[in-house]
Amino acid sequence: MAKKSRKRYAMVLDSRKCIDCKACVVACKAENDVPLGVYRNWIGAERSGEYPRLRTSFDPEQCHHCENPSCVRVCPTGASWQREDGIVLVKYDDCIGCKYCIIACPYDARYHNPETHTVGKCTFCTHRVDRGDLPACVETCPSRVRVFGDLEDPKSPVHQLLSTRRHRVLKPQAGNGPQLYYLL
Amino acid sequence: MDRRLFMQVAGTGALAAGSIACPRFFRKAEAAPVIPAGIPTTCELCPNKCSVIAELRNGLIHKLNPNPENPKSRGMLCARGNAAIQQVYDPDRLKQPLIRAGARGEGKWRPVSWEEAWDYTARKLSEVKEKHGPQGTLWSSTEGFQEVFFKNLGMAFGSPNILRHPSLCLASVNLAYSMTFGTVPSFDLLNADFVIMAGANRFESIITPDTMDLIGGVMERKAKFIYLDPRFTVTASKADEWHPIRPGTDLAFILAMIHVILKEERQDKAFLEAFTLGYEQLAEHVKPYTPEWAELETGIAAKDIVRIARAFADSAPRAVFYAGRRSSWYTNDFQMRRAQAILNAVVGNWDRQGGMVPNQKVPKGEFMFLPWDDPKAPRVDEVEKNFPLASAKDGVYLPLRENVLKGQPYPVKAWMVYKQDPLHSVPDQGRTLKMIEQMDFVGVIDIAMSDTAWFADVVFPESHYLERTDPIEVLPGIWPAAVLRQQVAKPIHDTKPCLEIVQGLAKRLGLNDFFDYTIEQWVEAEARELPIANGLEHIKKHGVVAFSEPKYGATRNPVNRFVTKSGKIELFSERLQEAGHDPLPKYTPPAAVPEGRFRMVLGRKATITHAGLTHLPWLHEHHKENDVWLNPEPAARLGIRTGDLVEVASQVGRVRLKARVTEEIRPDCIFMLHGFGKKSPWLKRVHGVGAADAVLLETAWDKVSGNAAMHETFVKVAKV
Repeated sequence: MAKKSRKRYAMVLDSRKCIDCKACVVACKAENDVPLGVYRNWIGAERSGEYPRLRTSFDPEQCHHCENPSCVRVCPTGASWQREDGIVLVKYDDCIGCKYCIIACPYDARYHNPETHTVGKCTFCTHRVDRGDLPACVETCPSRVRVFGDLEDPKSPVHQLLSTRRHRVLKPQAGNGPQLYYLL
Repeated sequence: MDRRLFMQVAGTGALAAGSIACPRFFRKAEAAPVIPAGIPTTCELCPNKCSVIAELRNGLIHKLNPNPENPKSRGMLCARGNAAIQQVYDPDRLKQPLIRAGARGEGKWRPVSWEEAWDYTARKLSEVKEKHGPQGTLWSSTEGFQEVFFKNLGMAFGSPNILRHPSLCLASVNLAYSMTFGTVPSFDLLNADFVIMAGANRFESIITPDTMDLIGGVMERKAKFIYLDPRFTVTASKADEWHPIRPGTDLAFILAMIHVILKEERQDKAFLEAFTLGYEQLAEHVKPYTPEWAELETGIAAKDIVRIARAFADSAPRAVFYAGRRSSWYTNDFQMRRAQAILNAVVGNWDRQGGMVPNQKVPKGEFMFLPWDDPKAPRVDEVEKNFPLASAKDGVYLPLRENVLKGQPYPVKAWMVYKQDPLHSVPDQGRTLKMIEQMDFVGVIDIAMSDTAWFADVVFPESHYLERTDPIEVLPGIWPAAVLRQQVAKPIHDTKPCLEIVQGLAKRLGLNDFFDYTIEQWVEAEARELPIANGLEHIKKHGVVAFSEPKYGATRNPVNRFVTKSGKIELFSERLQEAGHDPLPKYTPPAAVPEGRFRMVLGRKATITHAGLTHLPWLHEHHKENDVWLNPEPAARLGIRTGDLVEVASQVGRVRLKARVTEEIRPDCIFMLHGFGKKSPWLKRVHGVGAADAVLLETAWDKVSGNAAMHETFVKVAKV
């Protein structure tokens, strides 16, 4: 098979396996020096039903590294940008903390760092990915909720999962082309 | 082991990510890829002992990553394990030895040299020994790789009173399975098709590899999962069926299951014939325990019990009734665990894939040290007399405290504590405080100023696990491993490992000869018999020596002798009968919840298991204080809404905390998380925040094992 020159990183999540243990959240904090009180990833919980017919579902989420990221579009300085492999990043030196991107993100995935007065968000742990490791949240997860990889590589687990399992994305109507895929 | 093969077996999505050569987009901060300098070691935040690789940056510990070579930890690291770094760099941690300068608990401390702390402690211990004999000293600790040195000091000193943690935890489950099978097996959740858990909240109270294997089993292999618990836990939310069973009636449910299986002849007859003793007595014994009777006890419909029993037996041998871990619940806990063991035996899941499997061990060597004389005095908890089947070397915590408070059979006046916070881990904090009050001396070894340390006379600061090397630990299991904890970074404060603290005391107590070795010598002796070439080098480099292949069926051999009295699996136990206990588990109903009160039940959260973890910022952010769970029905009656301050009172204590009105608990129970309401201001995030469950819990224990019974407390709840 001809080797693809372009990569497209994405994440596939199996929310049913999430046990809300916060390992991903704490691993991210440690890996990326995220201050207290703000988060690059989080686990939402939805509770329903009446005793004793109760249900809870957990939804782990982070930056969707969209194909068409609104945060990048609205950034007045070009600090928000996208790598060729799809990963959306912030150049902290160029960020003026105007928070336009925070408002523009349909997923509420960005935060204002109270220490640096710049905007922070999930980077898919580029520093780890570029040395051949998995993002910290993926590696640490006890229940293997997250699968990370290159969509362009037909042998990658993300490619294989998406070609064999039903899945959805969150808020497709926003038109951002999100790259977090949730298995159904 | 073949790590790649293992990862596939475990159902993990391992990514084969090649290195990516596209640095042209990077700014300077990201330009040079950081290659982590990893040092493999072993986590100490809970008893699972997961393997981690510590990544350093500029001499500081930057990140702890999971080490996939340990099959037990299944290549993961939980929130607590990730937060361990914050213990090291906690500005409020213990940084040098302290001697109390004011009254106990007043918080006035004098920082002292190690020499002074050792001299003072040795003098105090010697004074107590002179007056009351060595048995006048108590040495209590929770499990840890250096616990061996601490308890050896107590034994070398001549004290019979070495008190370990099992009687606050899993003593009843260990004893029940040992009395039945002669060993405590593991449960093969990686391969089980039908799993029943009663109160074992495996998705919030992580046990490796069970938690990971179960979520994979339920979600990927569609294993059937039945869960009984008075609370709707995360585990309940993942189960096929959640039954909010009436608390304390699990035994009725299990006996009725056995009744159905035997009545409908769904048992494994060949297995029972070949390997077990007492089938006829069992069949007779369970006759009255019909599903209709159990429905009245448990609140679970008879038709459901019948259906579950049939499905369980039909799925065997890939069906397990899971044992659980912290089994300190009711005064009949041992008999309930025995019934579980018998139920498992009846369907013949013993030593089968997907069933209950006796543990394998990775062999290791032993360091030979000079032995000491056995203590002359009997134990103060009188375990041999009152709990003859329990482990005398571990002791029984609550009966011990009661005897010490009474001064019977003799006075105990000095208490040394290692790595444990008895003011939180032992029920009835008021009585534990009384025990401290009546001590002439209390010494604590810990990494942080726990509440017990706050009330001590001397506090020895131990080096954090990332700052020290410990003995090699064997982790028995279906996938057994031996792990090494080795120093990742030099201690940043004036702290010492437990062994060196013990050696300083031993020198002054005239016990130097018993501790005349280094940790390196100890580890080297252990590594010599690891089943691998260059064992020491290997375990230092990898952190782990493991077997990847489970062995099933080795004990299903007609010539195999089980380590029981008869050499068979004992459904009926003569030893229990001789000791004056029911030889088959007889049902006794739990005490009824008195009018206007609630039963207090305990449990854990994945971020908070041990009381010492609540103040770590990354864990604390998710649970800033604890609240008391109350079902909407009684809450409406009492006029309580979420967020209201309420007073919760038992017969031994009262606390105030906020209410959480939730459908996720039975109307007759309340629940609160552990590890809050701290007295020590050095744990500032949780000091005086929320409430401590130990204040409310009353003293009760399991009759056979002496294990604390922590679900026997009834409380009143009132709006403040």
